[in-house]
Amino acid sequence: MNRLNKLFASKNNNLLSIYFTAGYPALNTTVDIAEALEKSGADFLEIGFPYSDPVADGPTIQHSSEVALENGMSLKVLFEELTELRSRVSIPILLMGYFNPIAQYGIERFCKKAAEVGVDGIIVPDLPIYEYENMYSSYFIDNGLSNIFLVTPQTSEERIRKIDELSNSFIYLLSSSTITGYNLKLSDSVEDYYKRITAMKLKNPTVIGFGITDSSSFAKACNYANGAIIGSRFVKLLGEDGYMDKIDGFIKGIRP
Amino acid sequence: MKIKVCGLKHPENIEAVAALQPDYVGFIFYDKTPRYAAGLSADALQAIPASIRKTGVFVNESAENIDKLIAEYGFNAIQLHGDESPAFCAAFKGRVTVIKAFGLNEDFDFEQLKDYANNVDLFLFDTKTKIYGGSGKTFDWTILDQYKLDVPFFLSGGIGPENIAEVKNITHPQFYGVDLNSRFEIEPGLKNIEKLKDAFNIVKNKIQQMKYGVNEQGYYGDFGGAYIPEMLYPNVEELRQQYLNILNDEGFKAEFDDLLKNYVGRPSPLYHAKRYSEKYGANIFFKREDLNHTGSHKINNAIGQILLAKRLGKKRIIAETGAGQHGVATATVCALMGIECVVYMGEIDMARQAPNVSRMKMLGAKVIPATSGSKTLKDATNEALRDWIGNPVDTHYIIGSVVGPYPYPDMVARFQSIISAETKKQLVEYTGSELPQYVLACVGGGSNAMGMFYHFLDDESVKLVAVEAAGKGVNSGESAATTALGNEGVLHGSRTILMQTEDGQVVEPYSISAGLDYPGIGPQHAHLFKSHRGEYVSITDDEALQAGLLCCQLEGIIPAIETAHALAQLEKMKFEANDNVVICISGRGDKDLDTYIKYFNY
Repeated sequence: MNRLNKLFASKNNNLLSIYFTAGYPALNTTVDIAEALEKSGADFLEIGFPYSDPVADGPTIQHSSEVALENGMSLKVLFEELTELRSRVSIPILLMGYFNPIAQYGIERFCKKAAEVGVDGIIVPDLPIYEYENMYSSYFIDNGLSNIFLVTPQTSEERIRKIDELSNSFIYLLSSSTITGYNLKLSDSVEDYYKRITAMKLKNPTVIGFGITDSSSFAKACNYANGAIIGSRFVKLLGEDGYMDKIDGFIKGIRP
Repeated sequence: MKIKVCGLKHPENIEAVAALQPDYVGFIFYDKTPRYAAGLSADALQAIPASIRKTGVFVNESAENIDKLIAEYGFNAIQLHGDESPAFCAAFKGRVTVIKAFGLNEDFDFEQLKDYANNVDLFLFDTKTKIYGGSGKTFDWTILDQYKLDVPFFLSGGIGPENIAEVKNITHPQFYGVDLNSRFEIEPGLKNIEKLKDAFNIVKNKIQQMKYGVNEQGYYGDFGGAYIPEMLYPNVEELRQQYLNILNDEGFKAEFDDLLKNYVGRPSPLYHAKRYSEKYGANIFFKREDLNHTGSHKINNAIGQILLAKRLGKKRIIAETGAGQHGVATATVCALMGIECVVYMGEIDMARQAPNVSRMKMLGAKVIPATSGSKTLKDATNEALRDWIGNPVDTHYIIGSVVGPYPYPDMVARFQSIISAETKKQLVEYTGSELPQYVLACVGGGSNAMGMFYHFLDDESVKLVAVEAAGKGVNSGESAATTALGNEGVLHGSRTILMQTEDGQVVEPYSISAGLDYPGIGPQHAHLFKSHRGEYVSITDDEALQAGLLCCQLEGIIPAIETAHALAQLEKMKFEANDNVVICISGRGDKDLDTYIKYFNY
């Protein structure tokens, strides 16, 4: 049982997760930011590693990725920064990024290294179920890493069942079919989608992401899932002067 | 769905049909049909794999004779086409699979089947005729709704290439399979293997297995697949499920062929370039894709995809473009069909291909600059993918090259394969053979090259030469020579060869030609490269421009700078006097006049 499983076993609602891009706005900030987020009460974190061609991301995270790459961020650098992770941070940590940098680093090596620095799970948006199941799942499982799959309003029930079967920590529900950084509009169809998922009684908990920007969208999302993830809005904050001092206020503002 | 092929009688034909792996094959022992299999040696059935059920077909034959023939030919199924009673059927049940055939029309009394239900394994429903046996005509399949028993049935009667896809819409719970016969014949009893193969592919949803073709998971050897975020999955999955059915649909084919002929101006000429032939000491042929409407091969794919988008009920089209040729082709077909069109184009490409930007706008398209990353083709592709993520239901993304997640590489290759299909026919007229010694084409993503190579892939005597853009030199740091500089990874949804850093970041390529300025190649090209089926070389900006000018002056043809890369490769090759060499003139150079003029100071 990794930290993620323990978290979901002990707390099953209003979980707040934060995404940020490693290397943005500067190198050697990853663990500082993670520590500050834990102190402010965030329940778990996704640390993004940058990619030159992030097709699922909107302008905010694209920009953070570009800056991070210019700063020299890479998987190698990230793992170096994360060597002190577990001496300072105890909440669950996921790494999130596109497949190509992982493939170049070596998938097996990546999984080993991630486990070694104390990472609990991985989110690779462009790693398909077929390839995961048939080629790579053993590397994840052998290293005690959870692989997190995304589900959108267009994902079929059959596919959601398959994802539920392959998951062992939580399922990432996208609020709508969109790239990152757009505001959530809780329309009837979105509500129907959440209700449909709830009615499926999945074995894994669910967390909603994409379009969560403030306390009200966070609270709404938590009506339908065990928690919610904020990404672009937090990355925006990291672009501001004195961002370290603003983190606490930001988190408390989301979940008073 | 099972497939039965019936009415076989020639040993070699039997072997060829068996190689397609149908579920049943049928041999008719009824002397009033031209497909009568009497005289067929039992040995001819020996080679049929055990997985295929060998079926003897009889009409009011005596039980004694049937038994004799079962023993002689080793039948493991019998099909009874006459007035055989339930008791007659029962006598065989358990020993062989018993199929009882009935001719159906609107007056058919399904009640009579009840007595047979426990005495047969399968029914076969054919069109009702006055004579026994097949009619080659279909009946109204809605009659099947009246059939409520739980014995599965074969559907027979007039199933042919033009309606085979419709069979897949039959949802009757007992529908077991199709019986294919007279509509797939060269003459009675002699099956047309090619037609059957297409039908099998449609029925089994299989992709034609070519040695260098794609497999069912969308891979070419180690390359391909669909590495896409979940947000794109439904869009791509819809395409994957539909594209072969649509492409194989006779109505679709007719419309596609008609537009290619009457709108695009196909077939494009295969021109024997005499002065080039003299210069290079071989027979050089130009496949003139530059003469197509809109000035390049891109229109072939755009026409195919817009027709497909219409059949998928899409209301909006998006596309990416590098040089602008694909953007213009897409804007053109959208104007033709009255569909909204949005084209993403790198900001840098918009500046260097300004005339094409204006053309797209005149054609009614909205051109959106891609301002991220290198601001060229790869970033335009990213923006188009982002658009598609946000518009999953009403929008079709017309990818312009043999890149992207499966099924795009295969679909685009099929639409472009017209280039090599025509070339083969045209070459026969010049040389008496459809096979040249060499085929050359330039490669960015690789769509003209794949179209030019496609029908030669399995003809391994034909050397395939793919020419990439070396830019200012392969080792200059400003190049787009993907196979020379790249390694394996994932780009734009497929596993392929791409130019990337050690850390897996995509490298910004460079070429003077916007159409070749792409850091990857299509996955099928990656496979041809790795398997050494194709030779992948590169040509610099300077070499290409010189070759472009030479083509103007020797043949009176101003080629696109992309095409000029392929022409430049001729300088580096050694030919025998009788070699036939086909080179794909992928596009015309009007869009590149500025670049040519600046370079040569005209």
